[in-house]
Parts: sequence; C-alpha cells; structure tokens
Amino acid sequence: METSEARGVVRREGLEARVPLAALQRVTEAALAHLALDDLLAELLERVAEVLHSDTAAFLLVDDEDDQMLRARAAKGIEEEVEQGVRIPIGRGFAGRVAADRQPIIIPDVDHADILNPILREKGIRSLLGVPLMVGGRVIGVLHVGTLTPRDFTPEDRDLLQVAADRAALAIDHARLFERERRAREASDDAVRIVEAVQRVTDAALAYLSTEDLLGALLDRMREILHTDTAAILMLEQDGRVLRARAAKGIEEEVEQGVRIPVGRGFAGRIASERRPIIIPDVDHADVLNPLLREKGIRSLLGVPLLVEGRVIGVLHVGTLTPRDFTPADRDLLQLAADRAALAIDHAELYEQRRVAEALQRTLLPQQLAAFAGIETAARYLPAAQGTSLGGDWYDLFPIGRGRLGIAVGDVVGRGLPAASLMAQLRTTLRAYAFDGHPPAEVVDRLNRMLVYLRPATMTTAVYMTLDPEREALQIVSAGHPQPLVIAPDGSARFLPVTSDIALGVTRAARYHEQAFALAPGSTVILYTDGVVEVRGEALDEGLERLRLLAERAHENVETLCDAIIEEMVADGRPADDVAILAVRLVPLGDRIVTRWPADADVLANLRHLLRRWLRQHGATDDEIYDITVACQEACANAVEHAYAPGGEAFEVDASRTGREIEIAIRDHGQWRRARGAHRGRGMPMMEALMDSVHVEHTADGTVVVLRRTLAGGDDA
Amino acid sequence: MSTLARLEDEWHDEVPVARVQGEIDASNAKEIGDRLRSLLSNRSVAMIVDLSATTYLDSAGINLLFTLAEEMRSRQQRLALVVADPSPIARMVALTGLDRAMPVHRTLPEALGDLRDDPA
Repeated sequence: METSEARGVVRREGLEARVPLAALQRVTEAALAHLALDDLLAELLERVAEVLHSDTAAFLLVDDEDDQMLRARAAKGIEEEVEQGVRIPIGRGFAGRVAADRQPIIIPDVDHADILNPILREKGIRSLLGVPLMVGGRVIGVLHVGTLTPRDFTPEDRDLLQVAADRAALAIDHARLFERERRAREASDDAVRIVEAVQRVTDAALAYLSTEDLLGALLDRMREILHTDTAAILMLEQDGRVLRARAAKGIEEEVEQGVRIPVGRGFAGRIASERRPIIIPDVDHADVLNPLLREKGIRSLLGVPLLVEGRVIGVLHVGTLTPRDFTPADRDLLQLAADRAALAIDHAELYEQRRVAEALQRTLLPQQLAAFAGIETAARYLPAAQGTSLGGDWYDLFPIGRGRLGIAVGDVVGRGLPAASLMAQLRTTLRAYAFDGHPPAEVVDRLNRMLVYLRPATMTTAVYMTLDPEREALQIVSAGHPQPLVIAPDGSARFLPVTSDIALGVTRAARYHEQAFALAPGSTVILYTDGVVEVRGEALDEGLERLRLLAERAHENVETLCDAIIEEMVADGRPADDVAILAVRLVPLGDRIVTRWPADADVLANLRHLLRRWLRQHGATDDEIYDITVACQEACANAVEHAYAPGGEAFEVDASRTGREIEIAIRDHGQWRRARGAHRGRGMPMMEALMDSVHVEHTADGTVVVLRRTLAGGDDA
Repeated sequence: MSTLARLEDEWHDEVPVARVQGEIDASNAKEIGDRLRSLLSNRSVAMIVDLSATTYLDSAGINLLFTLAEEMRSRQQRLALVVADPSPIARMVALTGLDRAMPVHRTLPEALGDLRDDPA
C-alpha cells in the first residue's frame, strides 16, 4: 500500500503539469476565496465530468452527525442521489469501500460488482471510478464519476480524478471551516444583538425609569435571553458586608422577605467576595444559604458579580427549575449583561439620589429670605460640580424678636444624603434654640451638644450671629468657621477679628462664647463657606484677600455683590466644593423714611422696630422712642382695622425729622370706623397723651393721622 | 405662639403666675389673652400677670388686661400685675389708668405677699 501510494504521488506530480488540469486548478483556487460550499461542489463536478468525459459525477461527504456514514452532497447526472439523501455506510458498497480503503476503486462493469446504491443501477450506469477525499490523512468523503456506456478507466483517469479530489478536498475543508466560522460569527452576532438589546433597555432606562422599574425590566430581559425560570438582583448594603435582595422575578419572595446574605458565604455571598461568576449545576449538593432557592425548587444556578469600576455593587443570578448545565457562553452573556446593568443601576441610583437631594435641598434652604424693613439680604447656594448635587452647606436668616435677626451659615463636612439631612437638622435645631430666646453662645452650646449626641464623629463648622439693627450691634459666635467679612459704609472691607471656638460635633466639653461688634448703618456683613475662598493650589490667605478686594469693588448692592462673588471666586460657576453666601446690609435711614405696609396686624412689630431704629439714630431717648412708637402703632392699628373697606389693603407711614421735631403721618385709604366696645376707644387718648399734637383728617380718600413730638435732646444737625 | 412673645407659667398654691417675655401688640394680644384665661380654674382666687420682662405693650395689651380683670371680678377672682418701675410699661400703665383698676406691684414677691396679706 505504501509503495502504491508513493508511486501515485510521483505520477500525480508528473500529471499536474498537463494541460487539462489547469482549468480545474483555477476553479478550485478561485473557489477557496469566495464560493459557498454547494456552489463550489457543483462547479467542481462540472469540471471533473468535462475533463474525464464522464456522464455522472458525485461527491459524498462524511456525515456531520455520524462519521461512519457517507451522505450524497452534490451530484451531476444523478441528482436524485442528493435529492433522496442517499447514505452509504463506510466500508460497504462501492463508495463505502473507497472511503474505508482510502484507495481509488475502478468498477468496469457495474452489473458484476457490489453496488449498494440502487440509483446507480436505475440510472443505467455501466462503469465507475471513485477516489477518496483526503485532508491531512483523514478521509472526508468520496468523489466518483460514472459512464452510461462501459468504459475501462485508465490509471491516468484514476490519477487525474485523484488530483481533482485532492484539490476538492482542500477546498471543501476550507469551505467547511469558513462555514463553521460564519455560523459561529452569526451565533456571536446573536449574542451581540442580545447584549445590544440589554444595552438598549438599560440606556433608555437611565432617562426615565426608577431604579426599581429598571431592575425589573433587566431581570425580565435576562430570564428571556437565558431561558431561565428565575432571576434576581442582590445589592451590596452600605456597610459592604451584606447583600440584600433588591429585585427578583420568579422568586419575588426574596425581595418581599428582605433576604440578606452575608458577603463571603453561600452562593451569592461568594460571588460578591470572589468577584467572579459561579455556576451551580445541582443546588442539592451545593453551599446555598438562601432557603428560598431550595423551597422554590430551583435546581441549577448561575450568578455573576455586578461590578462598577472594579467595585462590587451587587450580584445578579438566574436559576432553573429543571437541572441545567450552564455553559461558559451563558456565563459570559450574563456577565456582559451584568456589566451593563451595573452601570445602569449605578447611574440610576446616583440619579435618584441626586433627585432626592435636590428636592431635599430645595426644602432645606430658605426659598425666600425673611424680609426686614431697612435691611437688605441676599443669599446664594451652589452645590459642588462633582458627584451628587447634595451638599452640607447651609444658611439661614430669621427674626428672633424685638426686631433682631438670627443669621447663620454652616458647613457640614461630607456630602450626600447624610450630610444634607444633618444640615437640615442643624438648621432646624438652631432656629428652635434661637426662638427659645437663648443668647447666641448658649444657642451654639446646645447645638453642639445636640450634634455630639446625634452624630458622634461628625464635624461641622458654623457661624451664628444676631443683628440688632436698632442698637447697630452684632453678637457673633464662631465654631471653627472662617471670619465674617464686613464692608464699611465708606466701601472698605475687613474681616471681623472673631476668635473662633472649636468646630461643632467634636466634643461635648466644647464651650462657645459670643463677641460683640458694632455695625454702622450702611455696612454689609458677608457670611460664606470655605468653598468660596478655597482654590486648589492657592493658599487660603490668598483666597480670603481676593474675596476682600472683590467686596471693596462691588459693595453697592447685596444682590450684585453675591453675583460678583459667584462669578469671580467660583471658576466657571462650577465649584469644587459647595458654596454658600449670605449678605446682610444695614440700610442707612435718612431724615425721612416713607414706607408702605400691608394692612395686617402682623406687620406692626416690623414697623415698630424700623421706627425705633430710626428714632434712636436721631438721638431719641428710650422713653421718647417708646412713646412715639406706641402712638404711631395706635394710628397704624386703626389703619389695619379700616382695612375692610375697598382700597384699605395697605397703609403708608411717612416719618420725617426737622431739627428736633419728629412728624409721622399715617395714611390709609380705608373707611374710618368709630371705635366700638368699652375699651376700644383707648387709642386716641393714648396718642394724645404721648404726643405733642395729634391731627386726624378724614377725606373721601381715607384717613390721615399726623403725630408730632419734639425731642428733648437729640441731634439738631 | 408667635415669636413676638413667650409666656411662662408657674403656680404658687392655687395662684397662677404668668410671665410674659417680649412684646404684646394687636397681632398677638388675643392669643395671649386665651393663654392667660386657660390658666384659670374655678378654684383660682387670683392670677398674677408679670410684665417685668415685657418690652412692648400698646392699647391692644392694655385693653386685654382691662377686659380680663372685669371677667375675673365677675367671678370673684382678682388680677394683679407686676411691672418694673421705672419702665416704659409703667408709664403706659399709669397713662391709661390701669394701675387704678387693679393692684400693680414692682416685684413678684411683693405681689404674692400682698395676696397672702389680703386674701379676700
């Protein structure tokens, strides 16, 4: 056998140079490049039949499913072979023997030979020549030709067919490889399509789905793609030690019962700690902690970690109620989907946190600063540009009685919901202590004790001050906070030399003290958080000096001042840290103040405080201030009572000073009503007793009460 | 209660003492009146309103005290005031004749002593 084959090779080499082969050769080489296998085989059969002058030609290939069988794959002249799906066992009959013997066989007379295939006889084939298709010493099929007239196939015919067969075998093998590759590629394209589908879900979901809805949609998708009965997502708790069931399909009880799995233990716990997929073919013989999985009759499990930037945020697993061997392909697909899902979940959670944060912050910071007559206020708050827009900076401004204002700015160290909620608690608590009438140092003392109790190991800096506009006085307490900046009436700016006490929340033993400063009318106090003055790579002093110089340039108006600070101190309006600014200006009151008030008893206090401040500024004594204020209030109270008439919604107070004489005119546009009841008529006698003169004039337009009094001492200028 | 005034109460035997810190004007006089009335029971023989920490009192507050005194008198109860003197409030009390309609004392011990001496 060896010699015959060796001889054959020599002969074939000699034959290759011969002309008829050239056409065949060209076909096969061209075919390798682009022909589909079936087209290639058909083309080869045409050429072979032509070259060998045969009536029939056929390829039988080893069956894909059974390597002991040959299956007719392509035929010329005997197309029925293929149509009927003729199969020949290797080793039997003509083609079977060619394949088994790996040798050419010539049958001069079909009638006297062992022919299995009835079609060959039926078609009237008389002579046959068959050769094996070999690739790398392996038989992949048989090529045979036949004639309808008896023919003695020569050794040359045999060798020629063998050369064609060798060529064809290579081509077939390549084509088959190519086809397998194409199928594989199609399969992987399917995987890509699936992943793309998952991706589409997650991407679209980012826009509008809540985290819960997103997880539900993802799990539905996973179950559908992997044909599993259950799918579940467990998220890592904040402490990083426990996984908690967050969403589930097919095992909804997981979520309802709030299943918790310690990291490192059980199926999901190990996926999280080992950060790799785990396949459990048989739940009965595995370390599965969650009793629900067994109870629900889950037999096989596949789980993968949810990773964001290499950090485990949870576990995604799928399960089946019938035993299943999850393949590496299943695993890869689930991991791919999990990677997308992890990002989507992370985004959704961030988005949700931000949404909650923004809503929270809106409710936490004063929407509108309380209005005080003769005082201008403005505030700005900018969350840090990075991360969730949830900061711990805060500001507040509120009345604390007798015309005084409580003013606070603070900075809770840290970010996110914990910082924001703490900020809210601090702000509310500070207000509550201030309303209780405690002096500023006592308010901050209590705030500190509350914070140490509430959140040990949390640090907050804050400055709290009270402003008494009448006394033109500030009482300031600083808990580790930057010094307030004051712009004097002449436009010069300086930091108030406040000695700071320790930050809030550090120790229960901390004691706070208040420091008094005078605030001249026309001055502006600016409170801020360190985000305003801290610039990376710059010394703190430089930032403070920049703020001071800026304040000297832009001191005209509190609103434009705040805008200028944001514009110039905060790069691109995107601060690295939270920024809070609160500016309060004590408006100077001249010789004449004209104010208009809604006819509501609640405004009386505010009006009284403005009047007191104005009178004190003009040198009135305590008693004079009291008398004039009471008289004015009586007239105003009347105006408020007249408010029932059309046009009576507001009244006007026109106070002026000429030398030492004070004149106050109170105008309303309502309808005068005679005082009713036993004690209702006390107002007019009181006014007359308290003032030098009282004039009441009723017109069709309303009522004017003019009060006059000359101050005993005072500033004549 | 508004931020304008705060009201603290304490009992000396059956006598409620109400201390008003802050300001009384037309915006909160009714509320303060309601609080004061709620301190009285059928067994109360008297009530003391301590105005020594009151920083502002206008006709709305004066009217309230006149009215309250009348109501109590009809039930055989007495109203007494504590007013620092000198003070703007003391001048108001004198100006309006409130000091002639009810006992006015400079200190709380003085007011309590007076009630003990004259329990009628």
